[in-house]
Amino acid sequence: MKVRTVAVYYVFTIWTRIFHWLMVGAIAVLFCTGLYIGNPFYIGSQGVEPTFAVSNWASMSTIRFIHFAAAYILMASFIFRVYGFILHRGDRMLPKPWTKLFWTGMLDMGLHYSFLRSEHRPYLRNSMARAGYGGVYGMIFLEAFTGFAMYGQIDPNSWLSKIFGPLNHLLVDEYIVHMIHHYVAWMIILFVIIHVYMATRADMSEKYGEISAMFSGVKFYDKEPDDIGDLKK
Amino acid sequence: MKDVESLWDLFQRRNVSRRNFLKTCVTITGILGLSPSLISDVVSAAEKQPLVPVIWLHGHECTGCDEAFIRSQSPFASDVLLNMISMEYMDVLAAAAGEPLEHHLQEVMKKYNGKYLLAVEGAVPLNDDGIHCMVGGKTFVHNLKEVAKGAAAIIEVGSCAAWGGIQAAKPNPTKSVSVSDVVSGKTIIKVPGCPPIPEVITGVIMHYTLYGQIPPLDSKGRPKQFFGNRIHDTCYRRPFFDSGMFVEKFDDAASKAGWCLYKVGCRGPETYNSCGNMRWWNGLSYPIQSGAPCIGCSANNFWDNDPFYNRMPNIPVPNAIVNADQVGIVAAGALTAGVVIHGALSTIQHKRHHKETHETENDNE
Ligand code: HEM
Ligand code: HEM
Ligand code: SF4
Ligand code: SF4
Repeated sequence: MKVRTVAVYYVFTIWTRIFHWLMVGAIAVLFCTGLYIGNPFYIGSQGVEPTFAVSNWASMSTIRFIHFAAAYILMASFIFRVYGFILHRGDRMLPKPWTKLFWTGMLDMGLHYSFLRSEHRPYLRNSMARAGYGGVYGMIFLEAFTGFAMYGQIDPNSWLSKIFGPLNHLLVDEYIVHMIHHYVAWMIILFVIIHVYMATRADMSEKYGEISAMFSGVKFYDKEPDDIGDLKK
Repeated sequence: MKDVESLWDLFQRRNVSRRNFLKTCVTITGILGLSPSLISDVVSAAEKQPLVPVIWLHGHECTGCDEAFIRSQSPFASDVLLNMISMEYMDVLAAAAGEPLEHHLQEVMKKYNGKYLLAVEGAVPLNDDGIHCMVGGKTFVHNLKEVAKGAAAIIEVGSCAAWGGIQAAKPNPTKSVSVSDVVSGKTIIKVPGCPPIPEVITGVIMHYTLYGQIPPLDSKGRPKQFFGNRIHDTCYRRPFFDSGMFVEKFDDAASKAGWCLYKVGCRGPETYNSCGNMRWWNGLSYPIQSGAPCIGCSANNFWDNDPFYNRMPNIPVPNAIVNADQVGIVAAGALTAGVVIHGALSTIQHKRHHKETHETENDNE
């Protein structure tokens, strides 16, 4: 039997990992409650009878409350992410389109994913993943901005509305803001499908310990990753 | 032409009692959305503040806002016109017409330069040098700019003046824009609505005439006391929304029972207006009360947010009428199928590659 000698690379701090799983939970809740808010229906066992609707636990207002609570959890989890970002180089694997490695890596992965190159170079995080995470952070921020723009208007004199309210005018009108929020929610879900697939694929075909890395924080490589510069100077 | 005087002067001249004058002031206080403790302020303003000369221009529009305005009941539009302002020029209500009226406009502009209030109804078409709306032989954009120069403040009456309105809806062939898009350096009050609520129009005019200053505005220039809340937050059907009880079709039992109109397209959650609290025709009713969803008539660009009776717009897909959720479900399904297939192919390739490398490795050994 062939023995594989690997080196252990500590990539993610505990803070990034906590953030990631909090975010996963929050987004799952946000997406389900959000779709309900966009197209609600009566959930209840009492029969559709106004007199009893007040005691309906799964009412629109409860579900909106859950949406907003999950939104606050998502926002709060970013504190962990930022802390990790400050603490550790491995938590700072951003897309770096100004480097040559980013583009050669992109080509490498593109050929690999279209079955034209059977093996790709080892990376701590490949260029496509980097670009994808950049994109999903962008979408989450867009959800947060449009979300708080709508949420703040519950009280148009609140400080929340003073900060985010102008967004409603910037994007034509508040109705458009609802629609952007709704469309981007779907785009995040499309990202998640690809992301979960790619993570599973990498986990199964490459022995770097891809998925477990988001629990343990470490990855295993038998060759030095090309983007090692992002971890060690 | 009479000289400017105050409301109280006018009441006295007409032998209307002090009692009636005070009653009018109480009504005004309520309409302006002021607290009862400010009644004395309103009274003293009505005693001293001279009546304001008003010029009312009409651009690219349907005169629907005039129809609303003349139906104002508290205060009566006739009271506003005859007693509370001195309406110097309004082409649709004026007895005179043609040359003499246009001549009068020039005189008024000179006489009250810097003092008159300008109310504008209608959008400003800019395409083809503005020839799509002509008044008195000149383009509306020309007239507007000329009259705006000497105005103390400008009120954009209705969604057309405030946002561009129906003529600015896609594809906007006349390139119509709002008044504030062509006039700058002036205080502009937006009073949107298609049409605005009658009492809101008269209320804004009266606030200015009584206080000599504009009412508090929000970041978009709309008076806060009338446009400070969403219809949704003042709607009497809100308990049904919060309970999750919705009208599904216009003829179902829920619609007869008066449940929330959210799913048949109600734009109340995004629309700022006073329909929920002041209602229309002296508090008689408002669209939602009559069973019709709000179409967001006071919102910017609302005409393009169609269809009005759907909560979400359709997404242009050939040969299908679909919204974002339907497109999303299909896209997510297709993507899932795609990654499964990609996964299967990857496994095959991986196995093959593994075999090859294994063989070469064995050769090397
Ligand atoms: C990834 C994160 C999120 C997803 C997937 C998501 C999803 C959704 C969806 C699909 C809707 C329905 C949109 C509509 O048709 O009107 C919605 C509504 C809403 N979301 Fe989110 N959302 C997210 C984050 C947030 C955040 C951070 C906030 C901030 C407070 C927020 C606040 C709202 C509000 C205020 C509404 C409108 C509720 C209403 O009109 O009653 N959302 N969300
Ligand atoms: C709502 C769903 C999800 C979202 C929005 C999401 C988003 C992200 C983001 C933004 C990162 C980059 C973290 C960073 O360095 O800043 C990441 C990494 C990662 N995620 Fe997710 N994720 C989701 C669900 C999942 C699930 C269900 C899994 C498990 C299969 C997973 C596995 C991973 C792994 C293994 C990484 C590390 C990738 C690497 O080493 O480059 N994610 N995810
Ligand atoms: S009818 Fe419209 S404004 Fe009233 S509660 Fe329902 S969605 Fe809101
Ligand atoms: S309910 Fe909505 S559409 Fe109807 S008048 Fe009021 S703002 Fe306009």
